[in-house]
Amino acid sequence: MTEILQQIINGIAIGGVYVLIALGLTIVFGILGIAHFAHGSVSMFGGYLTFFLVVQQGLPLVLAIAIALVTGMVLGVLIELLAYRPLRNANHINAFIVALGLTMMVEGANLQFFGAEQIVIPTNASRVFDIGGLTLPELRLYVILGAAVLIAAMTIFVEETKTGQAIRAVAENRDAAILMGINVQMIPLVVFAISTALGVAAGVMVGSLFAIAPGVGEGLVVKGFAVLILGGLGSIPGAVVGGIVLGVTEALAAGFISSAYKDVIAFIVMIAVLLLRPQGLMGRA
Amino acid sequence: MGKRLLTCSVMALLMGTGGLAAQETLTIGVADALTGGAAVYGLPQANSVEMAAGEINAAGGISVGDQTYMLDVIVYDDKANPTEATNAVRKLIDRDGVKYLLGFCCSGATGAVASFIGYEDAVMLVGNAAERSITTQGLTNLVRTRPPADYTGAAAGAFVARQGHKRVAVLGALETSFYASYVEAFEEEFAQAGGEVIAHEVFASKDRDMSPQLTKIRAMSPDALLVVGYVEPAAFAYRQATELGMDIPRYGFTSGSEEQFLRVATSEQMEGVWDLRPTELTLQSATEAGLAYHANYTERFGDAPSPSSPYAYDQAWALKHAIEAAGTVDDTEAVAEALRDLQVFPEAVMQYLPVDGKMFDANGQAYTANGAFQWQDGHWVFVEELPSDPAAYSEFLSSLD
Amino acid sequence: MKRGNILLLIVLMLFVALPQLITVKYYLHLSILALIWVIMAQGQNLIQGYTGYVSIVQAGFMGIGAYSSALMSTNLGLPVSATIILAPLVTALFALVAGYPSLRVKGHYFAIVTLAFNMVIFIVLLNLTDLTNGEAGLSGIPKPGNGRGATIDFYDRQVYYYFVLTIAVVMTALAAVIVRSRVGQILLAIRQNEDLVASVGVAAWRYKLFAFVVSAMFAGLAGALYAHYQSFINPEIFSVAQSLDAILAVIIGGSGTLTGPVIGAFFVVFLPEYLRFADSFRLILYGLILVLATIFMPRGIVGLAHDLKTRFGSAR
Repeated sequence: MTEILQQIINGIAIGGVYVLIALGLTIVFGILGIAHFAHGSVSMFGGYLTFFLVVQQGLPLVLAIAIALVTGMVLGVLIELLAYRPLRNANHINAFIVALGLTMMVEGANLQFFGAEQIVIPTNASRVFDIGGLTLPELRLYVILGAAVLIAAMTIFVEETKTGQAIRAVAENRDAAILMGINVQMIPLVVFAISTALGVAAGVMVGSLFAIAPGVGEGLVVKGFAVLILGGLGSIPGAVVGGIVLGVTEALAAGFISSAYKDVIAFIVMIAVLLLRPQGLMGRA
Repeated sequence: MGKRLLTCSVMALLMGTGGLAAQETLTIGVADALTGGAAVYGLPQANSVEMAAGEINAAGGISVGDQTYMLDVIVYDDKANPTEATNAVRKLIDRDGVKYLLGFCCSGATGAVASFIGYEDAVMLVGNAAERSITTQGLTNLVRTRPPADYTGAAAGAFVARQGHKRVAVLGALETSFYASYVEAFEEEFAQAGGEVIAHEVFASKDRDMSPQLTKIRAMSPDALLVVGYVEPAAFAYRQATELGMDIPRYGFTSGSEEQFLRVATSEQMEGVWDLRPTELTLQSATEAGLAYHANYTERFGDAPSPSSPYAYDQAWALKHAIEAAGTVDDTEAVAEALRDLQVFPEAVMQYLPVDGKMFDANGQAYTANGAFQWQDGHWVFVEELPSDPAAYSEFLSSLD
Repeated sequence: MKRGNILLLIVLMLFVALPQLITVKYYLHLSILALIWVIMAQGQNLIQGYTGYVSIVQAGFMGIGAYSSALMSTNLGLPVSATIILAPLVTALFALVAGYPSLRVKGHYFAIVTLAFNMVIFIVLLNLTDLTNGEAGLSGIPKPGNGRGATIDFYDRQVYYYFVLTIAVVMTALAAVIVRSRVGQILLAIRQNEDLVASVGVAAWRYKLFAFVVSAMFAGLAGALYAHYQSFINPEIFSVAQSLDAILAVIIGGSGTLTGPVIGAFFVVFLPEYLRFADSFRLILYGLILVLATIFMPRGIVGLAHDLKTRFGSAR
């Protein structure tokens, strides 16, 4: 029993990271219908930048994260304006190929600026809590709490604020939103800014709890899309549930079935959901 | 006509500069990972070949009869990718007319080149790539300076058994065959001493969260943990083991530097970890040649050399001595034969254990000593040499196909 | 039409004469790889260019073709000429299994699901060590024919060049036949408007699955030819990065055309050679080319050439 509970705890931290990545992907998909494949690499750029500011420039971690978040938001807005907007009315396949191209560019830039060796954002959190035989490292706890706060903030923003309502209106029906006087040119920019900020937060978490290296971002974005398929495309609660389910599934698969094939097992779960419930766990039929 | 004129003027130029013996250039090629994840291994190797070539030239080049050859090095990036490595070597042989190929840090890329090199008029010297099958194919024009991983694994198994452990859990990059062969040899020796490997858990090269595997291992309560894999994920395995409260002895085969580990784990989390590997370049166990190598490399490239980079440095010197012994640069068969006949030379940085008095055995394989290193107060400390038997292993290697 | 035929004949003759024109053998080696990539890109084009579904599993299918042909020839002792024919069939079986769930989602999500399949194939090739020898790969894969020194010696790169050239020409012709058939017309209609196709009572999924499986067979064939040419394969070569190269080849050359993949294949194989000076910027440059080409040149080099021709043609 301890083992199962420990495995669930192991899976929740990485699940929280998946949720943040997936939330960024799902709002972009909901509004623009774009599979923003470069999201993972952009998120890792945020993690790299935080590392750079802390280690090379000696800034305090909190300040470094703040700068990385703002830089990330600007980068997100630029990507929307320069790369996706020109293709607004083109075939959807083109937007995806542009997303692939962007991924290569951002990955290449990360490699150029930050090198090929893995980086770990230094923190001083090395304590470990022991609760009745279950161990929880301090840093994992912060990651879980941080993810929870961001999920709550995001939900409140979308549900309660005026901008949030406008975003939902555009997602529901673009033409009606235009008639209602919503500035539909502005909304995508806001969405990309929020999406990238969530991604950067995830990048910082991955960079401090684990490590950032070439290819990590691409791996995460694939997991993020798997979460979307699990939870339901464009659904915010779906991203939350899907992310946790994926994280815990991987941990249980590695712990009880096969560590070599844990990713394969996670993908099989995704394919099974696709076959049995194409709209996703939380999606509307 | 024009060509003759040119030759004449070149001759005149050489005479004018006072060269008595005719001096020529011998171009050698390096294919190695200069970019990408494996550049950690490949780039220092390429550097050290260039450094060795510079030193050989400064010492008067390679003399064959009354000819003197100065070395010129062409380096191509193979990104540790098999297709890129094939392309790089094809280009070296077909386009640049190179006959001597050095470098080769990584097994996949090296295996791809080894699969066709037997049919080429060329000699291939392999460095850090540890996959055993590279020297079991009976390729007469290939030698390797690094011993295969299982040669070290057997020594490690005996060592861990002597520490009194009975049940060991393995966590590692077991899809990578040289790590798998290390574990296999470890297991065999360990079992002979009455021990048992109770778990074979796997991590992929991109995994950084090993807590699920470690949680599983923790529940089996083994006497010790053996972590086998590249340093980047391995460092996380050590850290997460302490985070899960596992206070059993930890052994490993990672060859990571202190900086690489400290980037991931604190010194306290690393305290007491063992690394059971070829001795390679460690200042504590280094010879005079090793210390000089370290100093020259650091001065020239502004960075300390990686522990495995001398495998490539030694290739260049081995080639020099073999060419001089063979008395030819054109006859690659003769040079390959001379390599097999070579004794360990004074410039060698790694501490080779000769077999039958020769640096490379009949398979073209060289052997170094193996060592047990332990993390103590933030440093890798050389504790003792692991008893290794190169002659017996050499025989075993010859029995494989 | 007639002028097109003459042009086709000239290009074909150029390909036949190529080994005689190349003085440095290294470029013959690259040309063989490029021809293998022509087959790969023609397959990618069927699903991406004509049907409008971006598949990111082609390199995985190439891997299945390569491994199955290599294993059948070494383990079962089948003649290489037979395994090269069998390999695409094995690949087709896998493609059927992968295609059925993948094609339940449209557009971007199809791309993601296929990408997941590429990752699965990669992980399995890596971990099924008993069969695939893991990361170390399979070496000593035999060549077709009767070994070294035979009358037709496939170890001679010129011979292998003509061998691959023949197959590439046949496969390009096959792609042309498919595209011009009724099936091809339906595929094009699916790309234009899938809902419309469905609304007239055509079972679009069958045609999509057909395109997906056929494109996989092209990739499997390319993989088999690759394995027996290089004599060495490992999982690395069949990772997602190579699937992206296949997409690049189609986009750059001109998607939805038959000449496009040919141009694109040579482009992706030869371009890195000429970008060596900018090795560290290669990824950035590749990405930039992809983004700019998609935004400003969505019909690729072929489309560009066409535009130029009509412009100058009308000016005259």
